[in-house]
Amino acid sequence: MLQRDQNWDWEITSETSWLGGSLKEIFHYKDLLFRLVRKDFLASFQQTLLGPLWVILQPLLTVLTYIFVFRNLMNLSTEGFPSFLYYLIGITLWNLFSELFLNISYTFMQNMPVYSKVYFPRIIAPLASVLLYLLRFGIQLVFLLVVYFYFVATTDLQFDFFKILLIFPAILLTTGLGFGLGLIFSIFSTKYKDLLGLLQLITRLLMFVCPIFYSLSMVPEKVKWMVNINPLASVFELFRYSFLGKGQIEAFPIIYSFVITVLLVMGGMMLFNKMGDKLMDVA
Amino acid sequence: MSEFVIRAENISKLYRLGTIGSGSLRRDMQEWVLKNFNKEQEISIENSNNNSKDSIWALKNVDLAIKEGESWGIIGHNGAGKSTFLKILSRIIKPTSGSIKGKGKVSSLLEVGTGFHQDLSGRENIFISGYMLGMKKAEINSKFDEIISFSGIEKFIDTPVKRYSSGMYVRLAFAVAAHLEPDILIVDEILAVGDAEFQKKCLGKMKDASNTKGRTIIFVSHNLQAINNLCSKAIWLDKGVVRANGDAKTVVNNYLGSLQQKSWKNNFLSVNEAPGNEHIKVLSVELIPQLDGQDAIDIRTPLTVKFRFYNNNDNINLSADLLLFTTAGDCIFDIPSLSKQTSKGIYEGECTIPGNFLNDGSYYFNIFFAKDTSVELFNLEECIYFEVADFRENTNWYDKWWGYVRPNFPLTIQQLEAGLEKERIEIGSAGTISTKE
Repeated sequence: MLQRDQNWDWEITSETSWLGGSLKEIFHYKDLLFRLVRKDFLASFQQTLLGPLWVILQPLLTVLTYIFVFRNLMNLSTEGFPSFLYYLIGITLWNLFSELFLNISYTFMQNMPVYSKVYFPRIIAPLASVLLYLLRFGIQLVFLLVVYFYFVATTDLQFDFFKILLIFPAILLTTGLGFGLGLIFSIFSTKYKDLLGLLQLITRLLMFVCPIFYSLSMVPEKVKWMVNINPLASVFELFRYSFLGKGQIEAFPIIYSFVITVLLVMGGMMLFNKMGDKLMDVA
Repeated sequence: MSEFVIRAENISKLYRLGTIGSGSLRRDMQEWVLKNFNKEQEISIENSNNNSKDSIWALKNVDLAIKEGESWGIIGHNGAGKSTFLKILSRIIKPTSGSIKGKGKVSSLLEVGTGFHQDLSGRENIFISGYMLGMKKAEINSKFDEIISFSGIEKFIDTPVKRYSSGMYVRLAFAVAAHLEPDILIVDEILAVGDAEFQKKCLGKMKDASNTKGRTIIFVSHNLQAINNLCSKAIWLDKGVVRANGDAKTVVNNYLGSLQQKSWKNNFLSVNEAPGNEHIKVLSVELIPQLDGQDAIDIRTPLTVKFRFYNNNDNINLSADLLLFTTAGDCIFDIPSLSKQTSKGIYEGECTIPGNFLNDGSYYFNIFFAKDTSVELFNLEECIYFEVADFRENTNWYDKWWGYVRPNFPLTIQQLEAGLEKERIEIGSAGTISTKE
């Protein structure tokens, strides 16, 4: 009776794959991906007075705090550049990383209500986070460019078209690091919730070893290793260099960042594919 | 012969018990080391079965083969593994072992309003939910107006769904789900949320899908009537194991047979545990069906209800009422006893409902105790649940039989006049009912 040789479209087994679903499957769910981005973007402005303005207000308020604390109170140098622009550059990129990293770390916790009721490739949810935060970053980047060109016009800051193109590799590396690290954390923190307590702490520590309100040249030799092992450090230096034309840009740290990014993204996605389905039983 | 669209072989699912906290990291690492570096000593199902204290088999070696266009019901007690099985079929969780092969597009409705975001409008949510359930952009766009009119909330389509009444919310959610067009539809107990009318609409839509569009349906419900009506096949899971599998009516009847013997008697051992108050304590309630060789209560079975109670009042005029309700909450009858001058002591009440009276369905009893006919002393609510199964002979009517009662009053038809002469029919139609042929 049973037709053993029948052609089946799909198969469910106990195995989970490191490689996960095919790209074809993710492409099949592209409508969902974009709709999730739209949903989260719209949802974050419901019942707020200022709505999308918050995307810009948030870095703006942070910059003002930085100016007050680091320049007025601590008298840190901004290497002769306008402190507003100097801090805004660092903060804009840092926001991309930290929001991406924190949000993706909570992937399972935030999406469990839908993950437990319907199937779609699990990676769609963190991918939607990536697109969402790139969208927000895009808006902030426009604001940054407006501020930048204002200072180019009013001060002796030099605009260099080829240097400014360097922001793209910097953005790519930051996104990759946030995404990969976030995926790895999302897996482990779902199983071992202790990690969630550390998440904020890790983010804050990372911030201090990133050249956001200082530059690499200002770091004392004694503690330089702490900044050097941080793959984000050279990326932030690169990002600022592309605007201001000043900074320690060397090949080795950037290659190091690139290799770490590739490893984290690959490792994160593989771990996510392999462990994601199993986490449905524990979470 | 129609093709198989799903073949599940040896599906098992093991769940770990207890808290996953301290020690789990160590255990995970041990298992990981064992698994990856000690291939010969692989942790097989048999091995992990040994420490049965730590784990439980939610499903064990479940086989199921489903053909195109069939509708399957999954029945069983709570915790029998029904939902686990659906979740494995829906690819939400992985089986511990075994495999399922399938054909065609699968959509699963395990909850009403999957993916709905409270702060967003109905319009946005139609898209979010639709995509999550597996619809394509073009599909939603083409059915968008239809979905809105089906839900009947045109006016509120741009209002955030959190401001909807629960009824509107459910209607919108179901409208999206009802317009899914998968090859295989998996539905879990979603009928439990709606009102009676909504349930009817759901069932109607599902029946339509399986009958006219040849869609395969897999359906979990506690509503056995719905399973009987909707499904041609059923599988009965009991503690993760398949107890029966095949024709829906047979499986449901077997299941009912096993179910009922347990819940027919409610014995309350001590006076302290017994439900009641300072006036009345109910000691036991029992339903005794006079089964005539059947496994389960069906519409022919006479039912006797016996209850014992302790009366704590001297010199009152006591009466008891036996009330029968459908599980939807409609009262079928309220039978009072005669009032009686009573003193303290234990009393017994008894009432027999004849066979061929109740229609098939799920029912429960209340027992109401009163002083002077109308002053409430105590109301014991929902004390016994039972199901009445269907039984039919000599009929070609297979749908749900209408009505709450199904008495066997004779209805006869007899021929009054023979012949088909034209003028006779014309004369007849003026006054009396006549045969049309």
